[in-house]
Amino acid sequence: MSCHVGQERAAGRPSLLKLRSHPLRIALVGQPNVGKSVVFGRLTGRYVTVSNYPGTTVAVTKGRALIGAEVCEVIDTPGVNALEGTLSEDEQIARQVLAAGEADVVVQVADARNLRRALMLTSQIAAFGKPTVLVLNMIDEAWERGIAIDARELSATLAIPVIETVATEGRGLQELRDALPSAAVPCAPVSITSAERALWAHELTERVRRVSTISRAYVQEALARAMRRPLTGLPILAIVLYALYLFVGVFGAQTLVRLLEDGVFGRGINPAATWLCDRFIPIPFIRDFLVGQYGLITMGVTYAIAIVLPVVATFFLMFGFLEDSGYIPRLAIFCDRIFRVMGLNGKAVLPMVLGLGCDTMATMTTRILGTPKERLIAILLLALGIPCSAQLATILGILGGISFGALATLFGVVLGQMFLVGWLAARVLKGERSEFIMELPPIRWPRIGNLLTKTRLRIWWYLGEAVPLFLVGTVLLFGLDRVGALIWISRAGRPIVTGLLGLPPATAQILVMGFLRRDYGAAGLFQLAHTGQLTGVQAVVALTVMTLFVPCVANFLMMVRERGLKVGFALLAVITPVAIFTGAGLNYVLHALGVQF
Amino acid sequence: MSSTRLVFSSDGVRPLASLACGEGGTIVDVWRSDLHRRDRLLALGVTPGARVTMLQTFPGVVFLCDQTELAIERAVAEAILVRPEEGHR
Repeated sequence: MSCHVGQERAAGRPSLLKLRSHPLRIALVGQPNVGKSVVFGRLTGRYVTVSNYPGTTVAVTKGRALIGAEVCEVIDTPGVNALEGTLSEDEQIARQVLAAGEADVVVQVADARNLRRALMLTSQIAAFGKPTVLVLNMIDEAWERGIAIDARELSATLAIPVIETVATEGRGLQELRDALPSAAVPCAPVSITSAERALWAHELTERVRRVSTISRAYVQEALARAMRRPLTGLPILAIVLYALYLFVGVFGAQTLVRLLEDGVFGRGINPAATWLCDRFIPIPFIRDFLVGQYGLITMGVTYAIAIVLPVVATFFLMFGFLEDSGYIPRLAIFCDRIFRVMGLNGKAVLPMVLGLGCDTMATMTTRILGTPKERLIAILLLALGIPCSAQLATILGILGGISFGALATLFGVVLGQMFLVGWLAARVLKGERSEFIMELPPIRWPRIGNLLTKTRLRIWWYLGEAVPLFLVGTVLLFGLDRVGALIWISRAGRPIVTGLLGLPPATAQILVMGFLRRDYGAAGLFQLAHTGQLTGVQAVVALTVMTLFVPCVANFLMMVRERGLKVGFALLAVITPVAIFTGAGLNYVLHALGVQF
Repeated sequence: MSSTRLVFSSDGVRPLASLACGEGGTIVDVWRSDLHRRDRLLALGVTPGARVTMLQTFPGVVFLCDQTELAIERAVAEAILVRPEEGHR
């Protein structure tokens, strides 16, 4: 196919030398998992800002880079598979960056092994008429797999610079900087059908690429195979879960929490804040609001920073590791069939696993799911059945001390309830399920620098988005307590608690508080269990009800933010009776069978 | 599905789902009945002419398409038509 963009190309070149009212803007575009953010990190260094693209929830990272003697702005767009046809939210954003003139130069980052797919994207990028440079990243991995690309021939055909890089090691980055001034509009067919584009990409790939049958990436390939096959994959899953438990459940939720809650907050910040308030604020109401039992500092900030942050931070680190290593998509293969029963597909494994860390964040991640129905079911199941790390710690702490049977009963009941509710929701709710189609990225050892940046950005997200929700929840609690509603709610709930669930009257307030503030409920139950006021059966029933409840106020507020007030309350109206009646049923059955844990 | 068999019997074209582990072939077409699915597959490089190798059939279908490893559910694998390689083990 011939090239008709010669004049545009000629016009594109000198534009780099012209005086501009803004710094030269370079947009990085490419498929997911091609190392785009590593290239971005290499170009920009440390000073990076992440912001939501106006009017959307997709994050766009920006940074500055010194190219030659000029300071340029670099935009890292979300990974895209296409820029035409049916587009995901991410792809629409990337398209908008290119179309809205927010970029002067495009750097297409491609996985050197996947030249054919990269070229299909190149021809779609060419349609925007921007000077472009093609980066064949991870060229070392391509060589290891016996793939050789004639970059000179490719560059001549496309009439743009083609740079081979290994971004993780910084190789080829200087060449990329040097090549930027000679960026040109790619000489690729633009207004054609997708089938014609595929044919063009196929033919060009065949011309410039040689694939030999020798592959030297044995270890990665063997590991990738082991992870996706049931016989080896399930033991690997068990090991991963155990490592997750050790790092997040033990190191994060116990060691770090103790350090921060008892040490930094218990001995340092809270006494200091109380002292300051007592001394300088004469109005008792405001003093209580800040440092009282439900005080903004003593409860809201302490809860968010001392109890949840260490758990969330260790979890994000571990989760980032699993994500970057390419493990999670392979896990999705195992989950696909099970999730299909509940109206979801394997892709939902991502929010579900994330929910084990923080249900509030996982609720937000359900955006990656294909259809509104899937998102709703995932949010419902997260709130109903997935215990967050704070809940898990309580469950293990109390029931671990009683018996294995007690633990197995609780998890059996909770999982069973999740399946049942998911199965029903899949049938009752209107809408479609999307099909499971997922790329399995190669297994890699994650780059520590990248992992830390990613974790840092997620922790910033947590501080910016979730912490305010905790504070709002605390203010709500303070208000309820002030007007005497807390005592009233606890009293109203007592018949259900003592009658239906067979629990001691003292648990009524604990369960109500448990919804508002997870650790309060947990601590209350813990105390009851330790002072011998709870039998084994009562402990199992109380914890089952608490696990099935909506995890916390923050989670509820996130549900409202994601799906609206109406749906939020509807979910609450489904989950609460399910939790109570499951507890009542469990209590009845355990008593009828005469079980003693 | 009946049309699948018709094509199958005429010139050896079969759905991807019928390939055994380790068997290879070339993609001939993707059913046009679901355009959204077709777009998604095209964007991932599942295009006519691409070489495929079946890697795993349980619990999900995993195959290598050119240099990309893809996991899909069986229903999708039924919609991808391939011409198997002659004389493959």
